[in-house]
Amino acid sequence: MSDVVLRLSGIVKSFPGVLANDHVDFTLKRGEVHALLGENGAGKTTLMNIAYGIYKPDEGDIYVDNRRVKITSPHRAMEYGIGMIQQHFSLVPSFSVAENITLGLKEFGIFPKMESVKKKIESLSQKFGLDVSADSHIWQLSVGEQQRVEILKLLYMNARIMILDEPTAILTPQETENLFKTIREMVKNGASVIFISHKLKEVLKISDRITVMRHGRMLDTIPTSVADERILARKMVGRDVLLKVSKKPSSPGREILEVENLWSRGDKGQYAIRGVDLKVRSGEILGIAGVEGNGQRELAESIYGLRRYTGRVVIDGEDMLPLDVTSRIRRGVAYIPQDRKGLALCGGLPIYYNFFLKVFDSPNFSFNPYMFNPSYLRRGAEQMVKDYSISTPSVDLEAKYLSGGNMQKVVLAREISGSPKLIIAVHPTRGLDVGAMEFIYKSLLRERNKGVAILLIAGDLEEIFTLSDRVGVLYEGEIVGYSKPDESHIEEIGLMMAGVGSIDA
Amino acid sequence: MKSKLTLLIILISLIGFMIFAAPLKIGFIFVGPINDNGWTQAHYEGGVVALKKAFGDKVKITYIESVPEGAPSLNVLNSLAARGYKLIYATSFGYMNQVVQASKKYPNVIFEMCSGYELGPNLGEYFGRMYEPRYLSGLIAGAMTKAGKIGYVAAYPTPEVVRGINAFTLGVRAVNPHATVHVVWTFTWFNPPVEKDAALSLINSGCDVLAQHQDSPAAVEAAQNRGIYAIGYDSANMGKFGPDAYLTAPIWDWSAFYVPNVKSVLDGTWKSESYWKGMESGIVKLAPMSDLVPTTVKRLVKAMEKEIVTGKFHVFEGPIYDQNGELRVPAGKVMSDDELLSMQWFVDGVVGRIPKK
Amino acid sequence: MKLIVEKRSSRASDLSILFVSLFSVLVALIILGLIILSLKKNPIEAYIELVSWPFGTVAGVVQTLIAMMPLLFTSLGLLIAFKMKLWNIGAEGQFYMGAFAATWGALFVFDHISNPWLMVPLLMILGMGSGAGWAAISGLMRAYLGVNEILSTLMLNYIAIHWVDYLVYGPWKGAQSHNFPITATFPKAAILPQYGANGLNLGIFFALITSIFVYYLLKWTRLGYEIEIAGDNIRAAEYSGINVKRTIVIVMAISGAISGLGGMMEMSGVLFRLQPNFSPGYGYTAIIIAWLARLNPFIAIIVSFFFGGLLVGTQQIQLFLQIPFSLINVFQGLVLFALLSGEIFLRYRIKVVRT
Repeated sequence: MSDVVLRLSGIVKSFPGVLANDHVDFTLKRGEVHALLGENGAGKTTLMNIAYGIYKPDEGDIYVDNRRVKITSPHRAMEYGIGMIQQHFSLVPSFSVAENITLGLKEFGIFPKMESVKKKIESLSQKFGLDVSADSHIWQLSVGEQQRVEILKLLYMNARIMILDEPTAILTPQETENLFKTIREMVKNGASVIFISHKLKEVLKISDRITVMRHGRMLDTIPTSVADERILARKMVGRDVLLKVSKKPSSPGREILEVENLWSRGDKGQYAIRGVDLKVRSGEILGIAGVEGNGQRELAESIYGLRRYTGRVVIDGEDMLPLDVTSRIRRGVAYIPQDRKGLALCGGLPIYYNFFLKVFDSPNFSFNPYMFNPSYLRRGAEQMVKDYSISTPSVDLEAKYLSGGNMQKVVLAREISGSPKLIIAVHPTRGLDVGAMEFIYKSLLRERNKGVAILLIAGDLEEIFTLSDRVGVLYEGEIVGYSKPDESHIEEIGLMMAGVGSIDA
Repeated sequence: MKSKLTLLIILISLIGFMIFAAPLKIGFIFVGPINDNGWTQAHYEGGVVALKKAFGDKVKITYIESVPEGAPSLNVLNSLAARGYKLIYATSFGYMNQVVQASKKYPNVIFEMCSGYELGPNLGEYFGRMYEPRYLSGLIAGAMTKAGKIGYVAAYPTPEVVRGINAFTLGVRAVNPHATVHVVWTFTWFNPPVEKDAALSLINSGCDVLAQHQDSPAAVEAAQNRGIYAIGYDSANMGKFGPDAYLTAPIWDWSAFYVPNVKSVLDGTWKSESYWKGMESGIVKLAPMSDLVPTTVKRLVKAMEKEIVTGKFHVFEGPIYDQNGELRVPAGKVMSDDELLSMQWFVDGVVGRIPKK
Repeated sequence: MKLIVEKRSSRASDLSILFVSLFSVLVALIILGLIILSLKKNPIEAYIELVSWPFGTVAGVVQTLIAMMPLLFTSLGLLIAFKMKLWNIGAEGQFYMGAFAATWGALFVFDHISNPWLMVPLLMILGMGSGAGWAAISGLMRAYLGVNEILSTLMLNYIAIHWVDYLVYGPWKGAQSHNFPITATFPKAAILPQYGANGLNLGIFFALITSIFVYYLLKWTRLGYEIEIAGDNIRAAEYSGINVKRTIVIVMAISGAISGLGGMMEMSGVLFRLQPNFSPGYGYTAIIIAWLARLNPFIAIIVSFFFGGLLVGTQQIQLFLQIPFSLINVFQGLVLFALLSGEIFLRYRIKVVRT
């Protein structure tokens, strides 16, 4: 085992309400590129933050060169040669590249000798194909170039173990190609790289070994030579039975949601949804499966009216305008977004506010807008806390202090209490424990049985199979095919998710 | 009985002594800091310092610096009056509104307002004919310019400033009939960086002598840096900021007003008036000319000074033409004080505009 | 051993806020005392001067109230916007615009109206309208063009101040003012009722009523509820169907209307005519007041009373102890500094850790 440079053993880390890492073992060999693959929230970043000294593990040990070490801070990690490039860069925009690289280096003191620093930077940048000038200022650089500065920083500090957290998320295909060249060059020079990603193709292209994580657990480590997209997609989105919920056959009614030729752009301006058509009828759950980042969020936000789109979204027979959330709420559209903290909750406000964010658009309430005090909502909130068994000392608690599961219950309670006709749910159970998950499954199924149309967008196949009546697969912004949610179609769905073949339903 | 009577007499005379000996309490309200090398310093030296020297224990003087011109000056006036201050000098036009209000409220307090226009039974106004020394400084500028272009850094287009520019230009033209005076407005009384920028823009446009109606020495400094001449304002202290540039400055000596004014209050002869005197009273002066000014010019200036002081020469005596070449003051006529106090036009030779409606 | 600064996990209690604030003021006072001692003057006398006139005499309290009135108006205006995390720092400009509009109404539009019951409300509407319009410009730019409201409100301050300068130096110069930069005096009907000889006027009562109105707006209306939601999480507000863009414009307009009303009250209640530099930066002090009042319209009353007293009291020390103005500046800066560092103790705790 002399070629193992980093070993994480039995790592456990929990956050309130979530077990982010559950006895994870991980090894990194000298000179390899080791991909860490998994859905968002699978625990990849948490694991690497532990290796980099940002989090302290609850249990488990870290070995560098087979010696047990305690990594208490990123500074400590650097002393062991571990460097990490996080998704958000830590560069000072008004400083030059050279200044940023010397920033925080102990060896330099107050007045570093910038000339020799610059020389070293230029030579490193040439050697590894990082086209960055030491004198440019960070604010002048593109994100791709900024990332190269971060890499230079690690190289400058002689990091042997480099952790790259979703490095390609911000890159163009061309820049990604260049990054891979740099990674290969670094590996040739004896460094070892951990490459965090959820993009199958990239992982297959760059890595030597692949470790798949799911729900905070390490699933498997396989050599890249024996892996293909199909295998990885299945491993990633799982088939491990966490929870079985019984459901009776659906009895679909009239069409509630109709989407026609929907086109919509992602945050970076490229098309994320390319001509999607779909229909959801009352009393049915349409599951949309797919690997993360294929347009899930954009699809949900366009239908809900938060994102500009072209094409048609018809709700219960009425054509909706883009960017008009209010009339959708009035028409009975509920939305359980993926980013509950960022979008669906006001963390700084008491829980009882959060139950009633939509109170003035809800048909169930009619408060006088000029004689309305939020404390009127308290009693209703207390009832909801009881109905949804939300564990909180009081409805006055600020929502940010709730656990993930309880937060999601608050969202669910609010959305269901508006008596919706359509529920859009995106990754509704991500990051939740089994108990909360079961509760949410049951609630969604109950609504479906009451005749609500549900559009379920999830990465977890298990979830899709448990809940859906039909399954569509989203790949690169298109619905590449439909299938039935049962075991016999799993192969077919896996292939569609990997973009390998599309089969018309 | 006898001893009681003497006691009574002693007591009465003691009280009488205390009443008569109680110092006159005087308050000054300043718009800037007392060490601004300009307007406020001139008032401080001619007022607070000179009065203490002249009257000693007979007066008790307090002052307050940098009072904003809106409502905050009301509090100062009120609390001075409430504390038994009997004579209050407000040294900026911006306080007029509040001083007028206070003068109606406190009829037993005497208010003196520098450069205002409203009078009341207990409210007087005082100012000096600064245009007289400005005219003299114009003579020097006209004699010193080679380019025939003189810059003038001016604060706000008030009649006072306009009058100064006109008097200065008349002086320039008296010795140099083709020279022009270029005006830049700064819209501030005291803001060194802005004044400096204005000065530099004038220098860049070819002016080789600068004059100013500003309370900071920034223009003098700018002239020093760029090697041209400058005429200061307010106080001779401005010379320190440009030894190779400074020629002279029309300056204030407020003690010429304050000392007699306080004396009249002490004597009980004070009456409300609009005090507006010139060089003959000493309230305005031309500061000693520096060695940069040639002796012949010095002689000319001294001669003109004498003419003004003795009343033989009036700066604004016709014929005076305005910028459009229109005859504004016919030959032999002298402008009235009312005309001077509301002057809103430039004489021939000024390049620049008065912001208009 | 090292010191660790940690964010406090829960909100500070009201009592501890009060305690820390008082303690901060005390620290500033002690430092002031040391400064005065170094000038060989008696600090006790200074403390007495600082407090006795502005808080201890009828005439002085009235001065404090007069100084407080514009501060309260502008801070109330600001705190509505701050509640929604709209960083309106344009209260100064909105205040100027309110004063401008009131002067326009009193001298040029309604000058023939002699009934104060008609005139004063008309001027109030003008003052509010022009402050609202001024702030709404920034609101519109923020909502529809994404222009940062900090910059736009700040720039508009300068424009408003120069606009007033232009008017008083130019077209609005009073006929009787001998070309001095000052407008004519307001007609009688445009002047608020004055009580007693000290200048107490109805303006301060309007300011107090406005705080009740702001409280009502924030706590008892749909708009207040939406402001709270948008102020906490603007994306959640969009998600909840709140028209965030419209709300931004409305909130900015209300915020400006209140500051504009303050400008009108300053004209009709205290100054009676427009002159340059009539505000010594009320709108900027109001930023600090709104912040120290924790965006609570009732605490804003107390804080602006305190700041009004501070302005008046520091003038007393200058007048009667002859402390130089620059040291007064230092002291006022110290009070702010102490209060803001008190904030840090409320938000963070400092721990000593053995390593």
